[in-house]
Amino acid sequence: MTCAKMLCQECATQWDGIWHCAACLGLKRGAKVERSALLSWFGVVIFAAILLYTGARLMVWTAAVIAGLF
Amino acid sequence: MTAAPWAAVLVVTALPYRLLQAVFFDQLFEAGSNAAKYGNLLGGTANLIVISLLIALWGRAVYARACRLALGRRTTPGRETWRVPAAALASYVLTSAAVLLLAYISVFTCLGILLAAAFAGLAIGTMELNERVSLGQPFRLMFRHARMAILMGLVVVFACGLVVAMANLAAAFGLVVWAASGIGGFDAPHWHLLFTGNNRRFLLLILAGAFVAVEPFWIAAHVVFVRKAGAEERGDDLRAWFEELRRAS
Repeated sequence: MTCAKMLCQECATQWDGIWHCAACLGLKRGAKVERSALLSWFGVVIFAAILLYTGARLMVWTAAVIAGLF
Repeated sequence: MTAAPWAAVLVVTALPYRLLQAVFFDQLFEAGSNAAKYGNLLGGTANLIVISLLIALWGRAVYARACRLALGRRTTPGRETWRVPAAALASYVLTSAAVLLLAYISVFTCLGILLAAAFAGLAIGTMELNERVSLGQPFRLMFRHARMAILMGLVVVFACGLVVAMANLAAAFGLVVWAASGIGGFDAPHWHLLFTGNNRRFLLLILAGAFVAVEPFWIAAHVVFVRKAGAEERGDDLRAWFEELRRAS
Protein backbone atom coordinates (compact mmCIF):
# COMPACT_ATOMS: atom_id res chain seq x y z
CA MET A 1 0.00 0.00 0.00
CA THR A 2 1.09 3.58 -0.56
CA CYS A 3 0.73 5.02 2.98
CA ALA A 4 2.47 1.98 4.57
CA LYS A 5 0.02 1.98 7.51
CA MET A 6 -0.81 -1.31 9.28
CA LEU A 7 -4.21 -2.66 8.28
CA CYS A 8 -6.18 -5.79 8.99
CA GLN A 9 -7.06 -8.07 6.06
CA GLU A 10 -10.74 -6.98 6.14
CA CYS A 11 -9.91 -3.27 5.77
CA ALA A 12 -7.51 -3.77 2.85
CA THR A 13 -8.67 -4.00 -0.76
CA GLN A 14 -6.61 -5.51 -3.50
CA TRP A 15 -6.21 -3.55 -6.73
CA ASP A 16 -3.97 -4.71 -9.52
CA GLY A 17 -2.28 -7.18 -7.19
CA ILE A 18 -1.42 -4.65 -4.47
CA TRP A 19 -3.24 -4.19 -1.14
CA HIS A 20 -4.53 -0.65 -0.48
CA CYS A 21 -6.43 1.06 2.33
CA ALA A 22 -9.67 2.97 1.56
CA ALA A 23 -7.92 6.38 1.68
CA CYS A 24 -5.17 5.32 -0.73
CA LEU A 25 -7.73 3.79 -3.09
CA GLY A 26 -9.70 7.05 -3.00
CA LEU A 27 -6.59 8.99 -3.90
CA LYS A 28 -5.84 6.57 -6.73
CA ARG A 29 -9.36 6.96 -8.07
CA GLY A 30 -9.15 10.75 -7.97
CA ALA A 31 -5.68 10.90 -9.52
CA LYS A 32 -5.45 12.07 -13.11
CA VAL A 33 -4.28 9.30 -15.42
CA GLU A 34 -1.38 10.57 -17.48
CA ARG A 35 -1.89 9.40 -21.01
CA SER A 36 0.95 8.81 -23.43
CA ALA A 37 1.37 11.43 -26.12
CA LEU A 38 -0.02 10.55 -29.54
CA LEU A 39 3.39 11.22 -31.03
CA SER A 40 4.95 8.61 -28.71
CA TRP A 41 2.39 6.04 -29.81
CA PHE A 42 3.01 6.87 -33.46
CA GLY A 43 6.78 6.63 -32.97
CA VAL A 44 6.64 3.32 -31.12
CA VAL A 45 4.23 1.68 -33.59
CA ILE A 46 6.20 2.84 -36.66
CA PHE A 47 9.57 1.92 -35.15
CA ALA A 48 8.31 -1.52 -34.04
CA ALA A 49 6.86 -2.13 -37.52
CA ILE A 50 10.18 -1.18 -39.15
CA LEU A 51 12.08 -3.46 -36.75
CA LEU A 52 9.71 -6.38 -37.40
CA TYR A 53 9.88 -5.92 -41.18
CA THR A 54 13.68 -5.64 -41.13
CA GLY A 55 13.80 -8.65 -38.78
CA ALA A 56 11.83 -10.80 -41.24
CA ARG A 57 14.08 -9.81 -44.16
CA LEU A 58 17.21 -10.32 -42.05
CA MET A 59 15.99 -13.75 -40.94
CA VAL A 60 15.69 -14.88 -44.57
CA TRP A 61 19.05 -13.36 -45.50
CA THR A 62 20.86 -14.91 -42.52
CA ALA A 63 19.24 -18.29 -43.13
CA ALA A 64 20.22 -18.21 -46.82
CA VAL A 65 23.81 -17.23 -45.97
CA ILE A 66 24.15 -20.02 -43.38
CA ALA A 67 22.54 -22.57 -45.72
CA GLY A 68 24.99 -21.50 -48.43
CA LEU A 69 27.92 -22.40 -46.20
CA PHE A 70 26.96 -26.10 -46.19
CA MET B 1 2.42 -22.22 -9.77
CA THR B 2 -0.78 -20.23 -9.08
CA ALA B 3 -0.57 -18.73 -12.59
CA ALA B 4 -0.42 -22.22 -14.15
CA PRO B 5 -3.95 -22.17 -15.71
CA TRP B 6 -2.93 -19.11 -17.73
CA ALA B 7 -0.12 -21.11 -19.31
CA ALA B 8 -2.80 -22.53 -21.63
CA VAL B 9 -3.19 -19.06 -23.21
CA LEU B 10 0.56 -18.89 -23.66
CA VAL B 11 0.75 -22.36 -25.24
CA VAL B 12 -2.17 -21.72 -27.64
CA THR B 13 -0.73 -18.39 -28.81
CA ALA B 14 2.84 -19.70 -29.06
CA LEU B 15 2.01 -22.82 -31.11
CA PRO B 16 1.44 -21.10 -34.51
CA TYR B 17 4.70 -19.16 -34.08
CA ARG B 18 6.78 -22.21 -33.17
CA LEU B 19 5.19 -24.40 -35.86
CA LEU B 20 5.80 -21.75 -38.53
CA GLN B 21 9.42 -21.52 -37.38
CA ALA B 22 9.66 -25.30 -37.83
CA VAL B 23 8.17 -24.94 -41.34
CA PHE B 24 10.71 -22.19 -42.14
CA PHE B 25 13.66 -24.35 -41.10
CA ASP B 26 12.19 -27.33 -42.97
CA GLN B 27 12.00 -25.24 -46.15
CA LEU B 28 15.54 -24.00 -45.51
CA PHE B 29 16.92 -27.54 -45.13
CA GLU B 30 14.97 -28.61 -48.22
CA ALA B 31 16.48 -25.80 -50.28
CA GLY B 32 19.95 -26.36 -48.81
CA SER B 33 22.74 -24.41 -50.50
CA ASN B 34 20.21 -23.14 -53.10
CA ALA B 35 18.25 -21.28 -50.38
CA ALA B 36 19.21 -17.89 -51.87
CA LYS B 37 17.17 -18.84 -54.98
CA TYR B 38 14.03 -19.44 -52.86
CA GLY B 39 13.85 -15.94 -51.36
CA ASN B 40 10.15 -15.49 -52.17
CA LEU B 41 9.15 -18.77 -50.52
CA LEU B 42 11.25 -18.17 -47.42
CA GLY B 43 10.21 -14.50 -47.31
CA GLY B 44 6.52 -15.50 -47.42
CA THR B 45 7.01 -17.86 -44.47
CA ALA B 46 9.01 -15.16 -42.64
CA ASN B 47 6.09 -12.72 -43.06
CA LEU B 48 3.71 -15.33 -41.58
CA ILE B 49 6.18 -15.83 -38.71
CA VAL B 50 6.09 -12.08 -37.96
CA ILE B 51 2.25 -12.12 -37.85
CA SER B 52 2.21 -15.18 -35.59
CA LEU B 53 4.93 -13.55 -33.45
CA LEU B 54 2.59 -10.65 -32.65
CA ILE B 55 -0.04 -13.14 -31.42
CA ALA B 56 2.63 -15.00 -29.41
CA LEU B 57 3.84 -11.73 -27.84
CA TRP B 58 0.30 -10.93 -26.71
CA GLY B 59 0.02 -14.41 -25.18
CA ARG B 60 3.33 -13.91 -23.37
CA ALA B 61 2.15 -10.52 -22.08
CA VAL B 62 -1.05 -12.06 -20.68
CA TYR B 63 0.90 -14.86 -19.01
CA ALA B 64 3.50 -12.46 -17.58
CA ARG B 65 0.67 -10.38 -16.10
CA ALA B 66 -0.84 -13.55 -14.62
CA CYS B 67 2.53 -14.38 -13.04
CA ARG B 68 2.86 -10.88 -11.63
CA LEU B 69 -0.67 -10.90 -10.19
CA ALA B 70 -0.19 -14.41 -8.75
CA LEU B 71 3.08 -13.29 -7.16
CA GLY B 72 1.32 -10.45 -5.37
CA ARG B 73 -1.82 -12.33 -4.29
CA ARG B 74 -0.65 -15.94 -3.87
CA THR B 75 -3.90 -17.01 -5.58
CA THR B 76 -4.84 -17.72 -9.19
CA PRO B 77 -5.62 -14.39 -10.88
CA GLY B 78 -9.03 -13.90 -12.48
CA ARG B 79 -10.37 -12.09 -15.51
CA GLU B 80 -8.34 -8.93 -14.86
CA THR B 81 -5.37 -10.83 -16.31
CA TRP B 82 -6.74 -10.19 -19.81
CA ARG B 83 -6.46 -6.43 -19.29
CA VAL B 84 -2.82 -6.03 -20.30
CA PRO B 85 -2.10 -2.27 -20.38
CA ALA B 86 -1.76 -1.10 -23.99
CA ALA B 87 1.37 0.91 -23.17
CA ALA B 88 3.05 -2.17 -21.67
CA LEU B 89 2.12 -4.35 -24.65
CA ALA B 90 3.34 -1.76 -27.19
CA SER B 91 6.61 -1.39 -25.27
CA TYR B 92 7.01 -5.16 -25.20
CA VAL B 93 6.44 -5.49 -28.95
CA LEU B 94 9.08 -2.79 -29.49
CA THR B 95 11.70 -4.35 -27.22
CA SER B 96 11.04 -7.86 -28.55
CA ALA B 97 11.38 -6.70 -32.15
CA ALA B 98 14.70 -5.01 -31.26
CA VAL B 99 15.96 -8.13 -29.45
CA LEU B 100 14.96 -10.34 -32.41
CA LEU B 101 16.89 -8.08 -34.75
CA LEU B 102 19.89 -8.30 -32.42
CA ALA B 103 19.57 -12.10 -32.45
CA TYR B 104 19.53 -12.28 -36.26
CA ILE B 105 22.48 -9.89 -36.59
CA SER B 106 24.53 -11.78 -34.01
CA VAL B 107 23.55 -15.29 -35.13
CA PHE B 108 27.08 -15.88 -36.44
CA THR B 109 28.54 -15.26 -32.97
CA CYS B 110 27.45 -17.70 -30.26
CA LEU B 111 27.75 -15.04 -27.54
CA GLY B 112 25.35 -12.70 -29.34
CA ILE B 113 22.59 -15.32 -29.30
CA LEU B 114 23.06 -15.80 -25.53
CA LEU B 115 22.87 -12.03 -24.99
CA ALA B 116 19.73 -11.82 -27.13
CA ALA B 117 18.13 -14.63 -25.08
CA ALA B 118 18.98 -12.78 -21.84
CA PHE B 119 17.54 -9.50 -23.13
CA ALA B 120 14.42 -11.27 -24.47
CA GLY B 121 13.81 -12.47 -20.90
CA LEU B 122 14.36 -8.96 -19.54
CA ALA B 123 11.92 -7.58 -22.12
CA ILE B 124 9.07 -9.74 -20.79
CA GLY B 125 10.14 -9.26 -17.16
CA THR B 126 10.10 -5.46 -17.36
CA MET B 127 7.03 -5.26 -19.64
CA GLU B 128 4.53 -4.23 -16.95
CA LEU B 129 6.85 -1.58 -15.54
CA ASN B 130 6.16 0.50 -18.68
CA GLU B 131 3.29 2.75 -17.67
CA ARG B 132 3.66 5.12 -20.62
CA VAL B 133 4.57 4.62 -24.26
CA SER B 134 8.07 5.78 -25.05
CA LEU B 135 10.82 4.90 -27.51
CA GLY B 136 13.63 4.97 -24.94
CA GLN B 137 12.08 4.11 -21.57
CA PRO B 138 11.53 0.33 -22.21
CA PHE B 139 15.21 -0.06 -23.10
CA ARG B 140 16.33 2.04 -20.10
CA LEU B 141 14.24 -0.22 -17.84
CA MET B 142 15.83 -3.31 -19.36
CA PHE B 143 19.36 -1.98 -18.86
CA ARG B 144 18.55 -0.95 -15.27
CA HIS B 145 17.59 -4.54 -14.44
CA ALA B 146 20.40 -6.13 -16.45
CA ARG B 147 22.36 -8.18 -13.92
CA MET B 148 24.23 -10.20 -16.45
CA ALA B 149 25.54 -12.93 -14.15
CA ILE B 150 22.02 -13.93 -13.04
CA LEU B 151 20.60 -13.52 -16.54
CA MET B 152 23.32 -15.67 -18.09
CA GLY B 153 22.69 -18.25 -15.37
CA LEU B 154 19.03 -18.31 -16.37
CA VAL B 155 19.97 -18.71 -20.04
CA VAL B 156 22.16 -21.73 -19.21
CA VAL B 157 19.48 -23.27 -16.97
CA PHE B 158 16.81 -22.90 -19.64
CA ALA B 159 19.13 -24.19 -22.37
CA CYS B 160 19.51 -27.36 -20.26
CA GLY B 161 15.73 -27.33 -19.71
CA LEU B 162 15.25 -27.26 -23.47
CA VAL B 163 17.36 -30.40 -23.93
CA VAL B 164 15.45 -32.16 -21.12
CA ALA B 165 12.10 -31.11 -22.64
CA MET B 166 13.20 -32.44 -26.06
CA ALA B 167 14.18 -35.79 -24.54
CA ASN B 168 10.87 -36.00 -22.68
CA LEU B 169 8.83 -35.14 -25.76
CA ALA B 170 10.72 -37.69 -27.89
CA ALA B 171 10.12 -40.32 -25.18
CA ALA B 172 6.42 -39.38 -25.01
CA PHE B 173 6.10 -39.79 -28.79
CA GLY B 174 7.88 -43.14 -28.57
CA LEU B 175 5.51 -44.28 -25.83
CA VAL B 176 2.43 -43.26 -27.83
CA VAL B 177 3.71 -45.07 -30.93
CA TRP B 178 4.49 -48.17 -28.87
CA ALA B 179 1.02 -48.09 -27.25
CA ALA B 180 -0.67 -47.50 -30.62
CA SER B 181 1.14 -50.49 -32.13
CA GLY B 182 -0.89 -52.70 -29.79
CA ILE B 183 -4.15 -51.53 -31.38
CA GLY B 184 -5.16 -52.90 -34.76
CA GLY B 185 -6.24 -50.72 -37.66
CA PHE B 186 -3.40 -48.19 -37.38
CA ASP B 187 -0.36 -48.15 -39.62
CA ALA B 188 1.78 -48.15 -36.48
CA PRO B 189 4.75 -49.99 -38.09
CA HIS B 190 5.21 -46.99 -40.42
CA TRP B 191 5.07 -44.57 -37.49
CA HIS B 192 8.34 -46.00 -36.19
CA LEU B 193 9.99 -44.69 -39.34
CA LEU B 194 8.42 -41.26 -38.96
CA PHE B 195 9.05 -40.69 -35.24
CA THR B 196 12.81 -41.17 -35.28
CA GLY B 197 15.83 -38.88 -35.20
CA ASN B 198 16.35 -39.61 -38.91
CA ASN B 199 13.20 -37.67 -39.76
CA ARG B 200 14.09 -33.97 -39.98
CA ARG B 201 10.48 -32.80 -39.57
CA PHE B 202 10.04 -34.85 -36.41
CA LEU B 203 13.19 -33.30 -34.92
CA LEU B 204 12.00 -29.80 -35.80
CA LEU B 205 8.59 -30.50 -34.23
CA ILE B 206 10.24 -31.84 -31.08
CA LEU B 207 12.37 -28.69 -30.88
CA ALA B 208 9.30 -26.46 -31.39
CA GLY B 209 7.43 -28.44 -28.73
CA ALA B 210 10.35 -28.11 -26.31
CA PHE B 211 10.33 -24.32 -26.73
CA VAL B 212 6.57 -24.25 -26.04
CA ALA B 213 7.01 -26.46 -22.97
CA VAL B 214 9.85 -24.39 -21.47
CA GLU B 215 8.39 -20.95 -22.24
CA PRO B 216 5.98 -20.69 -19.24
CA PHE B 217 8.83 -21.36 -16.80
CA TRP B 218 11.13 -18.96 -18.66
CA ILE B 219 8.60 -16.11 -18.48
CA ALA B 220 7.73 -16.79 -14.83
CA ALA B 221 11.44 -16.84 -13.88
CA HIS B 222 12.07 -13.46 -15.53
CA VAL B 223 8.95 -11.85 -14.03
CA VAL B 224 10.04 -13.02 -10.56
CA PHE B 225 13.63 -11.90 -11.23
CA VAL B 226 12.57 -8.34 -12.21
CA ARG B 227 10.08 -8.08 -9.31
CA LYS B 228 12.69 -9.27 -6.80
CA ALA B 229 15.25 -6.83 -8.17
CA GLY B 230 12.69 -4.01 -7.86
CA ALA B 231 11.76 -5.07 -4.31
CA GLU B 232 15.44 -5.01 -3.33
CA GLU B 233 15.80 -1.51 -4.77
CA ARG B 234 12.83 -0.11 -2.83
CA GLY B 235 13.39 -2.14 0.35
CA ASP B 236 10.06 -3.98 -0.10
CA ASP B 237 11.78 -7.31 0.47
CA LEU B 238 12.93 -6.20 3.95
CA ARG B 239 9.45 -4.88 4.74
CA ALA B 240 7.90 -8.21 3.67
CA TRP B 241 10.46 -10.10 5.76
CA PHE B 242 9.63 -8.03 8.87
CA GLU B 243 5.94 -8.63 8.25
CA GLU B 244 6.53 -12.38 8.05
CA LEU B 245 8.56 -12.31 11.27
CA ARG B 246 5.87 -10.27 13.03
CA ARG B 247 3.17 -12.68 11.88
CA ALA B 248 5.21 -15.68 12.99
CA SER B 249 5.73 -14.24 16.47
